[in-house]
Amino acid sequence: MAVQNDKLRDPSWAWAEYEPNADQPWNLAQAGHLYRRAAFGASWEQLQQALSDGPQRTIDKLLKPQSEAVEFNRTYDEYEVATSSVDQLRAWWLRRMIQTPHPLLEKMTLFWHSHFATDAAKVKSDRLMRQQIQFLRSQALGSFRILLQGISQDPAMLLWLGAEANRKARPNKNLARAIMENFTLGPDHCTKDDIGDAARAFTGWFVLRSKLRYIPREYDSNEKQILGQKGTFTRNDVLRIILEQPATSRRLVRKVYRWLISETELPDEALITPIAESFAKDYDVLKLVETMLRSNLFFSKAAYRKRIKSPVEFSIGIVKALEGSISTTQLANDLADLGQNLYNPPTVKGWAGGKYWINSTAIVARHNLASALLLGSDPYGKKLNPWAVAQKHGCDTSESARRFLLDLFLQGDLDSEFYDSLSKTLRGQNVEELTRSLAYEIIALPEFHLA
Amino acid sequence: MSYTRRDFLKATLGATTMLSFASPVPNLLVRAANTGTGRQDDRDTVLVVIQLSGGNDGLNTVVPYADDEYVRNRPTLRLQSNDVHKIDSYLGFHPRMEAFSRLYKDGHLCIVQGVAYPNSDRSHDVAMRHWHTAEPDNPNCQTGWLGRTADSVWHTNQKDMPVVFIGPIVQPFGMRAENVIIPSIQSPDDLTIDPAPGESQPKQAVESFRSDKDNPLLNYLRDCTANASSNSRRIEAVTRASANKADYPAFLLADTLRTVAQLIRANVGIRVFFTELGGGGIGGFDNHANQLGNHCALLHQLSESLAAFIHDLKKDKLLDKVLVMTISEFGRTVKENGRRGTGHGAAAPIFLAGGKLKSGLVGSHPSLTDLDNGAMKLHTDFRRVYATVLEEWLGFESRAILNKQYESLNIVNV
Repeated sequence: MAVQNDKLRDPSWAWAEYEPNADQPWNLAQAGHLYRRAAFGASWEQLQQALSDGPQRTIDKLLKPQSEAVEFNRTYDEYEVATSSVDQLRAWWLRRMIQTPHPLLEKMTLFWHSHFATDAAKVKSDRLMRQQIQFLRSQALGSFRILLQGISQDPAMLLWLGAEANRKARPNKNLARAIMENFTLGPDHCTKDDIGDAARAFTGWFVLRSKLRYIPREYDSNEKQILGQKGTFTRNDVLRIILEQPATSRRLVRKVYRWLISETELPDEALITPIAESFAKDYDVLKLVETMLRSNLFFSKAAYRKRIKSPVEFSIGIVKALEGSISTTQLANDLADLGQNLYNPPTVKGWAGGKYWINSTAIVARHNLASALLLGSDPYGKKLNPWAVAQKHGCDTSESARRFLLDLFLQGDLDSEFYDSLSKTLRGQNVEELTRSLAYEIIALPEFHLA
Repeated sequence: MSYTRRDFLKATLGATTMLSFASPVPNLLVRAANTGTGRQDDRDTVLVVIQLSGGNDGLNTVVPYADDEYVRNRPTLRLQSNDVHKIDSYLGFHPRMEAFSRLYKDGHLCIVQGVAYPNSDRSHDVAMRHWHTAEPDNPNCQTGWLGRTADSVWHTNQKDMPVVFIGPIVQPFGMRAENVIIPSIQSPDDLTIDPAPGESQPKQAVESFRSDKDNPLLNYLRDCTANASSNSRRIEAVTRASANKADYPAFLLADTLRTVAQLIRANVGIRVFFTELGGGGIGGFDNHANQLGNHCALLHQLSESLAAFIHDLKKDKLLDKVLVMTISEFGRTVKENGRRGTGHGAAAPIFLAGGKLKSGLVGSHPSLTDLDNGAMKLHTDFRRVYATVLEEWLGFESRAILNKQYESLNIVNV
């Protein structure tokens, strides 16, 4: 055990590419883990395919979409253009998460949505919000540098922060503060004066009638001092200086670590340093994500079940496993009640996540959502049918369906005694209802809330 | 086929509830405390906030019937001195607020007069935003005062969320929190999981079924699940025992308050309930025309519902732990507008009701002649009332929530 823990802290072992071995075999549990983190859960076929492909080939597929993904996203972009409300945009996004051939892209788009959190309720323009999320998607596995540059001139962001007017005479600190304290360095790595001078570098930029405009006479061309450097900096200079700071890459790497690997403990500096340094060279998000997903650490005990599913992950995971398609308009509302209202994150800091998702009432609400999804009546109807899925994959008795669903949802994470005892007390009117009850029972387990 | 959600849950919750006893070491969880910053003590007092949406006409609620200016400015809306329920020789309650008058006489009602936010803004959105953020000077404030309250007192090993919104409208901004998820509920059903048939299962055996005992997240989830089902059993026991026993009028607000009373009885860790009268949005209290009948109906609902709630709690000796507060975005103009209605105003009274307060009038009635753009001026910043209920009543550190220390009003008897 001690040996194992030492290894977890050793960056050269932790970040080396995972190869299945006796200690860490490639099995159903690891395939499920990979699909929970790099996607929104998996169907039985995906899990089986992953078992036969092995880890690295499965990760190849998750990272690099087949060509159909581009076409898929183009089609969905068009659907979104035809929408007229944020409610519809939420529903389309959830549908995209369910249907996409490139779930990792949506997973990271969701990451950036929480990182560059913008509340549509304040922006009051579904068009600007759609454009922002589409921009985040375009670089979700691209360049953090481009993301930062884009978001700092994104009209929705400026409106949300109340930074739509950046006058020379009255520099607006809202954007500079959000960028430096939330999007990059963190509050401990910049001062009030840094923020004040950065705000002066951002002058001249306005959002007028929902469009970004630059008014040269409103730009403050005097000297500024930012993070120890002096010059007549412009907005792009400030972003360049921020990206040069080690604090920026470290903070981003830690946040991606929390998203992909573990929420339970803060990683050692030694573990973060090598990949933060490498990330700082080009801010290539795909490479960072790839390093993490392929790593020994990712497939170790330090990561396994060490995250709490967000409401989106919780619900889409059920839908993916049961190969169904449900009303995402309804789902978007139910997720809002669970605390994850897409397009409306609570503050500029995004969703705090982790244990914050859960309290006693949230547990009841998750149970109620699960039962609504599985019960087979309004508002979700009979779109999800665990018995049909079990039959499709070769089960012909309620007993075989029971074992199948436990593997599908939890990949044998329960002790065998418990595994055997589960649902022995269930009474159902017929095998389909019995299986619905069983699926609900598994989903209501504390284990199922862990990603 | 009448296979309802509850039947479904009954049929399926056997194992789940059984599992909820599986928490191996709940107390050890404290070690990983990620505590909120605010101070709190071990009080179990409860605050119930009722939002009157639309801007309540304070002048026709607590009526200065003896003021000539009132009579002169309200040719059609004025309430007659013979009809109001007199508080003193100057003020009286609206004729349909007889129940409030009784609460007042019984010492359960306190009226804080002349309350508003500074620099009067007459738009519903802006005004309501001020009451919700409690930061009128910061138009970009992203959190609500009760959201910050929950953030400051909740820590991530606590299982119950201390703030709850109850009502049929979208959760108001006042509960917007940076970290925690504040639930919106409509009935006790939203907080209950049915008790399960598998409860007789030996707990020890269940515990030994579980692997991965050292995952702090899993332990926390187990604790919350266990807590959710024990809360649920308590709530169900209370609703069964008190169903239809207490006498509430047939108003939506009364139903909501009945639920609040049940949840207080069930003692499930909720310290603040927020609910609403008027329908959200630009609510029913916004009467620019033909105000009299509509306003009368709303005040009657408020008065009867709240009185029923107070009596219900009093009967069970729970009133001493409960304080109710009404808020509304603004009062109305002193002068009626020629369409038998009133415009958006400024200062208005706040009601506080409960078992442990100094009942009576607080502060003077604002002048009806020294006006700001047709409306009465404030003399008490609304944040002083917030600070009072947070600090004096709930025992929370108001400074951490309101970002400034406001002087308390001396109205709470704890």
